[in-house]
Amino acid sequence: MSPAAARTWRQSPARVRIQRDYGAGFRWLELDLPADFEAPVAGQFVQLLLPPPSPVLLPRPMSVAGAVRRGRALTLGFLYAPVGTGTRALTALEPGAGVSVTGPLGHGYPLERPGTPVLVAGGRGVAPLLMAADALAKRRRAVEFVFGARTKSLLAGLADARERVTRRGGRLHVATDDGSRGFHGNVVELLEKLAPKLPPPVVVHACGPHPMLSAVARWATARGAEAWLAMESVMACGTGVCRGCPLPRSGEARDRVLAEGAASGAAALKGNPDWAMCCTDGPVFEARDLDWERVE
Amino acid sequence: MSGAHAWGRPVPPKRVDLAVRLGALELRNPVLTASGTFGYGDEYAHVVDLRRLGGVVTKTVTVRPRAGNTPVRIAETASGMLNSIGLENVGLHRFRTEKLPRLRELKATVIASVGGETEDELAELLESLGGEDGVGAFEINFSCPNVAAGGARYWASPSRLEATMRRLRSLTDKPLVAKLSPDVTDIRETARACEAGGADALTAVNTFVGMAIDLERMRSRLGRATGGLSGPAIKPLALARCHETAHAVAIPVIGSGGMSTGRDALEFIAAGASAVQIGTATFVEPGAAVRVVDEVRDWLAAHGIARVADLRGTFDAPAAQAGAPEGAGEPS
Repeated sequence: MSPAAARTWRQSPARVRIQRDYGAGFRWLELDLPADFEAPVAGQFVQLLLPPPSPVLLPRPMSVAGAVRRGRALTLGFLYAPVGTGTRALTALEPGAGVSVTGPLGHGYPLERPGTPVLVAGGRGVAPLLMAADALAKRRRAVEFVFGARTKSLLAGLADARERVTRRGGRLHVATDDGSRGFHGNVVELLEKLAPKLPPPVVVHACGPHPMLSAVARWATARGAEAWLAMESVMACGTGVCRGCPLPRSGEARDRVLAEGAASGAAALKGNPDWAMCCTDGPVFEARDLDWERVE
Repeated sequence: MSGAHAWGRPVPPKRVDLAVRLGALELRNPVLTASGTFGYGDEYAHVVDLRRLGGVVTKTVTVRPRAGNTPVRIAETASGMLNSIGLENVGLHRFRTEKLPRLRELKATVIASVGGETEDELAELLESLGGEDGVGAFEINFSCPNVAAGGARYWASPSRLEATMRRLRSLTDKPLVAKLSPDVTDIRETARACEAGGADALTAVNTFVGMAIDLERMRSRLGRATGGLSGPAIKPLALARCHETAHAVAIPVIGSGGMSTGRDALEFIAAGASAVQIGTATFVEPGAAVRVVDEVRDWLAAHGIARVADLRGTFDAPAAQAGAPEGAGEPS
């Protein structure tokens, strides 16, 4: 496949279909897109641009929490926290309001990997994992869904997760740091307890704050399990041209990039050995691809 | 203030001649992509027909690949963005063997941006790329604000610019465009130095050095203290530098800085630019540059201007300020 053929993203107008509170200070947003917009897979993201007059210049990278075809049109769901100028302005958009969406962007979770899929969500990191649970349910695969937060009131999306997971005989496991719900501890401690009881190999797909993902990655590396982590970064373009969203590659990944450069017969490198771009190399990375000591 | 400008009768948009010249290079229209905002062209080829652009200015290439700066590399500010990319690029070898063949396939008019920490590095780049098919011209990046060596400050010396341009001029027959920093006391001096050294055109301007501080953490919002500011915030600043540059030299000037619409582009052309570059707007709207081409054509047609070249420099500056901005601030 030529590099151009591999790129399928486009910029499309979209309309707000639903905008509502989701609990714990989060919001649920649904957008209607034209039929020719490719449906994202779990872990991919889109660049959402507010209509003028907008208080911000750049589009905002938004992880997709759901993708449903309605007739020919496509509806995308997003779970977001109004924490910055752009996302706060987004809360003001009523159903019918026009926005612009570029995507789908980046690489999603490799849900086809053989083994027992374990979805690990921290806080609003639950967004792409709701979609992953849907996709695995469609493939009739039972999942283990680990959902953690500091305290029970921050477990927004718990009912959605339960509904999706249990439909196909999967199991939902809840952890809270303060023990107010479910397991008293963090998701890694729960994972440690749960994993030995699962048919190997365990394949973790996780999303949440970077410190949590870092802990999941270390756990997976130490246990010889696979873990796929959805990362975040400030971005400008989201398409790979601006080089604005670097994440530190691990030594192993660095050697691989250098070896690929050598194997191509070119003295030059096939990629940047030091930095992976969150937008085009990710946002989903395998635990061994990044240097977790240097991830911020 | 004088009365309304006398415009001609509208002409059909299809009749508007958008072609412009940069030295020996003819562009089908005056709209280029700005270096660093359009990759090596192919990243956007599935959504933008590169043949509809005046040209693609590619990501600055250096002799060796560069990994770029430590994050954070992007910080949005009021109506603009700071970047601290640090010239991350694939290096000369991969540019020549992978990126250029792809651009030839796409039939884009290519202006290859090259950057170096020394005169020797720039010479090596032009010796290697100077005869390549598919490169229409070179843009020499004398103005990156985000590298420790060989950046805007190093190249702010008129004598160094002139000597370097003179040497580069002897290495290729292709047009050479010098991209200038706005962060100098008098941009006319760097502009004239490049012209004297043999530049065929100038790009005015690169990003402005800027800062943003995260107060809570009391540290820069970027990985470095400073970055380059781009976007609508800099358009008036860039327009003034472009106007000043165009009045200081006889060679064509390419306007750059904060443009996102056809009207923005036409302001630069009226102020003396022969062509323009669209940069940060592409991050917001990947097809921005092509839309600007259409908007430029439609505006010219509606105002009865059959050739874009006829609009160039027609801005009627108040006499006291025309080409002599330092006079405007003096006590009268």
